[in-house]
Amino acid sequence: MRRRNKHHDDQAEVNMTPMLDIVFILLIFFIVTATFLSEEGLDMRPPPDSDTPPDAEAPPPIVVQVDDDNNIFVNRTRTDVDRVLSAVNRFRAEEPNSAVLLEVQDEADHGIIVQIWDEMGANGVPVSIQRTNDDS
Amino acid sequence: MARRVSRVNTGEEEIELNMTPMLDVVFILLIFFIVTSVFIKEPGVDTTRPDAMTEEDRNPSMLIAVTAENEVWVNRRVYEMNELRGVIEQLLQENPKGRAMIQGDEGANIGLILDVQELLIEMDVEVHISTLQT
Repeated sequence: MRRRNKHHDDQAEVNMTPMLDIVFILLIFFIVTATFLSEEGLDMRPPPDSDTPPDAEAPPPIVVQVDDDNNIFVNRTRTDVDRVLSAVNRFRAEEPNSAVLLEVQDEADHGIIVQIWDEMGANGVPVSIQRTNDDS
Repeated sequence: MARRVSRVNTGEEEIELNMTPMLDVVFILLIFFIVTSVFIKEPGVDTTRPDAMTEEDRNPSMLIAVTAENEVWVNRRVYEMNELRGVIEQLLQENPKGRAMIQGDEGANIGLILDVQELLIEMDVEVHISTLQT
């Protein structure tokens, strides 16, 4: 049956080449556009709420405050952005397990907060962020 | 020309290339790429993002930019904070498992970034803060 077709009328055979061309072009288009977009980023999400009460034994956190004018205070002592880590490390030398609580006011710069967060993260200091809106 | 030659020696059919299996493979690849391609909507604004050392690679499908002028950009448009929820819901409909990334400018207010982040967390969207791409 098949053989008879092939031998007798060649024109009935479907020429696949143009379709294959189109399919290949589509394939290449989708491969090129499917740039699996990968961005580098930080996870700054707060930890999920837990029912367990905070450990009473835990040392008090080191409070790093950043106010609206980007002034930085580590435990109420003013410092600048490059010295936050050394200031925190000084406090952690006394209380090695203490975490850092980043208290930010709304108009502080994003860049400074990310830099502090990143420095803490890179040095294995547990850090969490909290917003303050009062001018204390 | 070549066809004519091949038609002459119809005797040896084995020489003719059978394209069907290749076509099958190509189609499957094509369908794979069509299905997996998520067209990411760029925010349409450039932000100078802060550099970080602890950054990790993520594959976001939703980009939200916050500029130094504290404008929130999604899909080439500026939105107010109260419009943002509707816009994100719309994006989530297209891609329910969307992961978001906030491209905050260094000079943007942290309050606004945290507002956007809180909104996304509230909507159960995985969210990360984008940093400088190296």
